Amino acid sequence: MRLIPAALAVVVLGAVHLAAQATPPTQDVFVRIPADGAKNPLEGDAEAIKAGMGAYRVRCADCHGMDARGIRGPDITQVWARGRTDDALFRTVRHGVPNTEMPAFPAPRTSDNDIWRILAYLKTIATPTIDEPRGSGIAGARVFETNCLACHRVNGRGGRLGPDLSRVGVARTRAHMARQIRGEVPDFRTGYEPIVLTTPSGQQIQGVKKNEDLFSVQIMDTRERIQGYLREDLRGVTNVKISAMPTFGREKLTDADLDDLLAYLSALQGPEPQAATENR
Amino acid sequence: MSRLIVRLAVAALGAAALAGSLAAQTAPPAAQGTGASGTPPPLVSNQELLEGLRPDGSRWLVFGGSYTNQRHSPLTQITPENVNRLLPQWIFQTDTLGRFETTPLLRDNVLYVTGPLNKAWAIDARTGREIWRYVRELPPTGSLTACCGLVNKGFGVLGDKLFMTTLDAHLLALDIKTGTVVWDTAMEDFRMGYASTIAPLVVKDKVIVGVAGGEFGIRGFIDAYEANTGKRAWRFYTIPGPGEPGNETWEGDSWKTGGASVWVTGAYDPELNLLYYGIGNPGPDYHSDSRKGDNLYSDSIVALDADTGKLRWHYQFTPHDLHDWDATEVPILADLTIGGQLRKVVMFANRNGFYYTLDRATGQILVAKPFVVTTWAKEIGPDGRPVLLPGHVPDEKGSTTCPDVTGATNFWPPTYDPAQRLFFVNAREVCATYYAWKQEYVPGERFTGGAGQRAKGPDYRAYGALRALDPTTGDRKWEFEYITPSTSGLLSTASGVIFSGDAEGNFLALDSRSGKLLWRFPMGAALHGTSAITYMLDGRQQVLVPAGTNLIAFAVGDVARVPATR
Repeated sequence: MRLIPAALAVVVLGAVHLAAQATPPTQDVFVRIPADGAKNPLEGDAEAIKAGMGAYRVRCADCHGMDARGIRGPDITQVWARGRTDDALFRTVRHGVPNTEMPAFPAPRTSDNDIWRILAYLKTIATPTIDEPRGSGIAGARVFETNCLACHRVNGRGGRLGPDLSRVGVARTRAHMARQIRGEVPDFRTGYEPIVLTTPSGQQIQGVKKNEDLFSVQIMDTRERIQGYLREDLRGVTNVKISAMPTFGREKLTDADLDDLLAYLSALQGPEPQAATENR
Repeated sequence: MSRLIVRLAVAALGAAALAGSLAAQTAPPAAQGTGASGTPPPLVSNQELLEGLRPDGSRWLVFGGSYTNQRHSPLTQITPENVNRLLPQWIFQTDTLGRFETTPLLRDNVLYVTGPLNKAWAIDARTGREIWRYVRELPPTGSLTACCGLVNKGFGVLGDKLFMTTLDAHLLALDIKTGTVVWDTAMEDFRMGYASTIAPLVVKDKVIVGVAGGEFGIRGFIDAYEANTGKRAWRFYTIPGPGEPGNETWEGDSWKTGGASVWVTGAYDPELNLLYYGIGNPGPDYHSDSRKGDNLYSDSIVALDADTGKLRWHYQFTPHDLHDWDATEVPILADLTIGGQLRKVVMFANRNGFYYTLDRATGQILVAKPFVVTTWAKEIGPDGRPVLLPGHVPDEKGSTTCPDVTGATNFWPPTYDPAQRLFFVNAREVCATYYAWKQEYVPGERFTGGAGQRAKGPDYRAYGALRALDPTTGDRKWEFEYITPSTSGLLSTASGVIFSGDAEGNFLALDSRSGKLLWRFPMGAALHGTSAITYMLDGRQQVLVPAGTNLIAFAVGDVARVPATR
């Protein structure tokens, strides 16, 4: 209940702010745009993607990186995976982000299609290409329950030691997921790096590292307890050089099982928002 | 509403009565400097600027503490023994987006502080209470071109005026008592890629500033403005025009869009009457086919006559730079004995990985030595030019070089302790993969011709360290290692304490003789590009730290306060 006035205040402030910036009042950057907004008309267009790559490199890469994984500006490879829509991204590019160094790209110097081309290119490096469907998602769900659910969560079920996979079908290609599961790529992700703390009594606490500085370390232990420790209270802090994600070779997971699992994972697109009417 | 009006009217009557009663009092003694007309004298004199940091700790009036930029305080109340008893006295929150990169100024127990988005404050140093605030009406931020944060590095001051540069490339004078604008001068058209974030340096009757925009195809310059009027006194273009010496180091018309910005405050030697400023990168940053040549005076230090802006000498650290290594680090002046000879020197730890000591009268190189892992050049040759190593020209595929784009160090201030003869700097050990591609210039748009991205993988451990260097040799005396690269500036004191910060948001105190950690306080945000300052207040030494959107004042808790007597 207490959240509602705060949320309203944010919307109102956002509207006032945008009015001051002389942008269309209907376009409110502080509010999640519904997923039925305008789609990129140039998505998948080979010519547009090529032109978009050139424009991206010249106008975006210096801050966001050649691979869009961020330098001074943020990582923008996960924008769709995190639920932003084409038209919301379009407006971010067009109007910039107020009070930050993300500039506006106003018309007429930057046309609508210039922006759509950049987004068409970004989509090719940010999100999965469509893979040929193989395997059974229903069978894959069982493979997931047996092998993955203890550490990974999907739509509110499962463990929390590993990343939540509710949207992994939007965020990762099938091929990339296959390589990760088979252990063919190094897989150290910030927030999930394995760590072992040794207490003065010699007890070992295993978990994944959430944060650290010169004086302290914050972890989730294998019982999913999140807790911070002072280094001075510990006998040792060991960063484990082996990924917390186990390798699933063919002896553990057959090619057919992997196909099923990938079919299941690729279908994970994030929870469907419930319509407001269903909550009345 | 009506009640408010009544209250205001009462307040106005009260003020008038107060003024009357004050006027009726006997005139204050001449020692307080009251002019014949009865108006108080200007708050800050040129003599005070020349004096720099005094043993009584009553002032901080220049970006680097003094014209030498040493940032080394003579104060000794806070020591290696008691620094662990520092306690927060107050916290000032800006209530705004963006972070501090400022050096606050202090005079008569009031702090003058610039913040992000060209907001600024006068703050009671005793309590952290705001006295006035200034907010500049800026063009829509999406149209501003500051490359790396909508920040500001601090005020300059003279008389009753504070001077501040703006993100839309103006220079302002504010009334120090009220924060209202006295004059407002446009340095250049911000729509052409110009911005300004530099802290002005006041020398004699002039305000010295520069412009940012090295990523936007500007032609950089250093300007001097009359402090009284805002009228421009001189301009030194950091890229020579046709017919001027050095123009031939730019191919074709590339000099017109070659960058060479100026966004870090320089030093001043009153005896030689010379200004020393570091100059930014040539543009486009990474793809350089269009700008064949050395590209003077990009990535150089220049010594300018403070009265005329005429170039006395220059030294280029990185000729024909391909890695965005602006020489926009803080130059520090000192007198050193090198090879048995007493020298007036300027010390410079450069983004390109080398530490330099130069004779500041002549520009002669006395010391040049890497202070981090440096893969692009073997050494600085006897002719003063770097001896290049092969394989460090960026292309579309990318080439990996150390240091990275941010550099071995950058704009965060180093310090110099003249008693120990040590130069302290926060260094970064990071490598980058540099990419380059051809780019056409479009006025007002980014013009970098590439990108650089931190090199990843087991071969490239990225970390930082506070290093103490002997400026007569470039040798390292000690270091304190951080787990990730720090971008904090430094403050050192005569009692042997050095204040720093790490990227995880800890404010740190170390023993400047050994590098041993003495104390820390988690600030909640890193000191990015900014240093703490220190001063005396009511008999207690204070340390003021800008971090994130907060200013925090510290003092040793159990030192008794001595209230002001007047």
